[in-house]
Amino acid sequence: MAKIGVFVCHCGENIASMVDTGTLVKAMSDHPGVAICNEYKYFCSDPGQETVKRAIREHNLTGVVVAACSPRMHETTFRKACAEAGLNPYMLELANIREQCSWVHSEKNQATSKAIEITRSLVEKVKRNNELKPISVPVTRRALVIGGGIAGIQAALDIAGAGREVVLVEREPSIGGHMSQLSETFPTLDCSQCILTPRMVEAIQHPKITVMTYSEVEEVEGYIGNFTAKIRKKARYVDMSKCTGCGDCIQKCPVKKIPSEFECGLGKRTAIYTPFAQAVPNVPVIDKSRCTYFKNGKCKICEKSCQIDAIDFEQQESVETFEFGAIVVATGFQIQDTSVYGEYGYGKYKDVITGLHFERLASASGPTAGKIQRPSDGKEPETVVFIQCAGSRDPSKGVKYCSKICCMYTAKHAMLYTHKHHGSNSKIFYMDIRAAGKGYDEFTRRAIEEDGADYLRGRVSKVFEENGKLIVRGVDTLLGKPVEVAADMVVLATAMTPQPDAKQFAKRIGIGYDEYGFYNEAHLKLRPVETAKAGIYLCGACQSPKDIPDSVAQASAAAAKVLGLFSREQLEREPVVAAVGETTCAGCWGCVYACPYNAIEKKDITDRNGNLIKQVASVNPGLCQGCGTCVTFCRSNSIDLAGFTEKQIFAEVMAL
Amino acid sequence: MGIQEQYRSEAAALLSSGEVKLVIGFGEGSTADRRRPLFARTPEEAQKFVLDAACIANLSTYLVTEGLLSDGKKVAVFLKPDGIRSVNILISEAQLKPDQVVILGYAIDKAEITALEGRNISDFSLGEEIRSHTPPPHILQEAERIEEMNPAERFEFWKAHFSKCIKCYACRQVCPMCYCRRCIVDVNQPQWVSTSSHTLGNFEWNIVRAFHLAGRCAACGACDRACPVNIPLRLVNYRMGKEVIDAFDYCAGENSSQKPVLASFKQDDPETFIL
Repeated sequence: MAKIGVFVCHCGENIASMVDTGTLVKAMSDHPGVAICNEYKYFCSDPGQETVKRAIREHNLTGVVVAACSPRMHETTFRKACAEAGLNPYMLELANIREQCSWVHSEKNQATSKAIEITRSLVEKVKRNNELKPISVPVTRRALVIGGGIAGIQAALDIAGAGREVVLVEREPSIGGHMSQLSETFPTLDCSQCILTPRMVEAIQHPKITVMTYSEVEEVEGYIGNFTAKIRKKARYVDMSKCTGCGDCIQKCPVKKIPSEFECGLGKRTAIYTPFAQAVPNVPVIDKSRCTYFKNGKCKICEKSCQIDAIDFEQQESVETFEFGAIVVATGFQIQDTSVYGEYGYGKYKDVITGLHFERLASASGPTAGKIQRPSDGKEPETVVFIQCAGSRDPSKGVKYCSKICCMYTAKHAMLYTHKHHGSNSKIFYMDIRAAGKGYDEFTRRAIEEDGADYLRGRVSKVFEENGKLIVRGVDTLLGKPVEVAADMVVLATAMTPQPDAKQFAKRIGIGYDEYGFYNEAHLKLRPVETAKAGIYLCGACQSPKDIPDSVAQASAAAAKVLGLFSREQLEREPVVAAVGETTCAGCWGCVYACPYNAIEKKDITDRNGNLIKQVASVNPGLCQGCGTCVTFCRSNSIDLAGFTEKQIFAEVMAL
Repeated sequence: MGIQEQYRSEAAALLSSGEVKLVIGFGEGSTADRRRPLFARTPEEAQKFVLDAACIANLSTYLVTEGLLSDGKKVAVFLKPDGIRSVNILISEAQLKPDQVVILGYAIDKAEITALEGRNISDFSLGEEIRSHTPPPHILQEAERIEEMNPAERFEFWKAHFSKCIKCYACRQVCPMCYCRRCIVDVNQPQWVSTSSHTLGNFEWNIVRAFHLAGRCAACGACDRACPVNIPLRLVNYRMGKEVIDAFDYCAGENSSQKPVLASFKQDDPETFIL
């Protein structure tokens, strides 16, 4: 005989102001099988939980319904309370009379009768609940970090620092990411490579970190604690175990005029190359599409120049499979293609460049060795105009969001330019100066007050060439007047965008993304580094535009989450999993295709002599996430989901 | 030699050589214009086969009889293109093994009957034929007429038809796609579909049936012919099939390696309905 306790929560005024809880309590008290029904201001409070526990003990309850908020809020709380009072925690149901009732209605009588219906249907469900026990699954305590920029490096170092194995995968020939392209970093103006390269070296030397460069994650299968990832190692055509990084091959390579990706096209590279001098690992790759040998079948000069035979034109790409317990996605960003702004003349005039170009010009390791020179004629510019929000905060042509870093790096560029070229003149067109961050506002003030950056509040309408000068025509909205500046160079603060293949990659590993392609966190405020897929975490600019301090902080946060997961050998999982009724399964395999977690296998049913009678579907409870997709697909109703069985759902529906 | 004699002797040869254990074809019916299924296990029985323009039933439905093919032996069957299409679907749903079925194919064009080349399912490529297939004109006209109704009129139309349903399940028994060992209507713990034949229960059954056939129907029309109270079931299946083609560019039974349309996905499927 069912003895159900029903506990109606007021949630302060949240529920009580719209639902007549007295009527609800009375209706539930009269319902068959309900042994006790109480109301209270906050059942989630300590005394509230005590009431529930006491009722379980005193009335020997077989099931509990708390009519309160969404199970997403307090299911865990009350399950624990039930367990402490000796009741199986899965004998609890939360009737959501807040989000699905009091918050969305404005007529008290109707809201009250709806609350009664909701609660009654959950009482009918809980009568049919079964006692469930959590499932234990083993955890592979090795992490996969995807992306070798500063965020990925930091996450890898933190996880490895705690003694866990990490595989760090980077698709470019070297780790380092965008940070290795930067000159100095705000707000301290320390050299980017000077602070980054020690981390890169630490990562590659760390005994617990396996760095896989020129590699891409091709496929991820499995679930939290038990992922299997296939990683494609592209052919480098250089034997990493032999190469000493002497660079002879690079010097001898006859194809020298390839625009360097690392230098944003401002410098040149050879067909066999390392992207930059401090590359980690310092092993070159052969760009197959540019190499003379691969194009014409003749050359191999690099092979001849190599004294230790490290060049291997026969090398093939290979796919390696690893087991992982957790995955950190740190795939970073790209900058927006600014050619959509025809009026700024990007692509038309050589001296209209992006912020990233300017970083390379200002970098001591860059194509001009740190001298600010115009790309067109190599002259030092006298006047530079910086245009902020050249893409960001522009719903019509660019992107709606703020790229967050541009205000700061533009101030930095103006400063670096003044420091390198005294008496120069920088003019910055801006919408607002967004300098929130430790030392950030002081930094922009310094650019204005000490380094003479001239800020003009307004948008630029057009950039055009006249008598060898770039004429920047815009408006100063503070003066309310149009302005025209004759500049030698124009720097556009281009928007940060997701990687071009971000969406495909998200689909491949099964995480969500927003309208732009930035990856979705599980909760913007409370679970910022987790994804909706358990065991996959996020850090860096793949989640949203971010500067270095934020990326690093988020990387360490993701590492903390991974280490929390790795702190135990076994992981307890919800027992809400599907099971197949083997007698009625027709073996059509629809569920096998439908399962998004590949949790359903084919199972042979044999007689006692081992002869095959038939094949049926079988759910692996370790893989099943309890989504119920298979249940809805099964035409013969042969699959049932623990905690949400057909009988329970039917009783719920019939009680309405 | 006419096709009937040709297939009689071929069936006899298949049986006497032991290649197949059974040939499923047509025999004389209760009236001159009706045919009934004939199951021949000996060459002598094969001489009773009849094949003419009256052989319109889809015999593939007998192939999924429980236990028939579990011994691994082969069965030959007389099939029109719609029956071959059913076999494709049944193979893709793992209910048949391609090598266990020998197809004695034929096509009917008005009163003309012709033999089809090929004996194994892989010999038949139906893709284009199925895509360009249109139902008979009277079905098409009726479908268009219903399409033009407003939702209330359409509801009344189906209510009138479904209210006639006596829940005899002849539509289920005759359909090759209804191979479940236990049909959902026979589940009584809990009883989702009411078994009594009142309008609600009849709606439940017919709508469940329509959904279970969406993207699976071979358009053979067997259910329509089997219905003793003349519910135009073909119209329902036709409409669901059209929906599946429009939404997923999927046409059931084009080949035998299709994945079930409602249980599989493509990376470029639109996700607009997911919040």
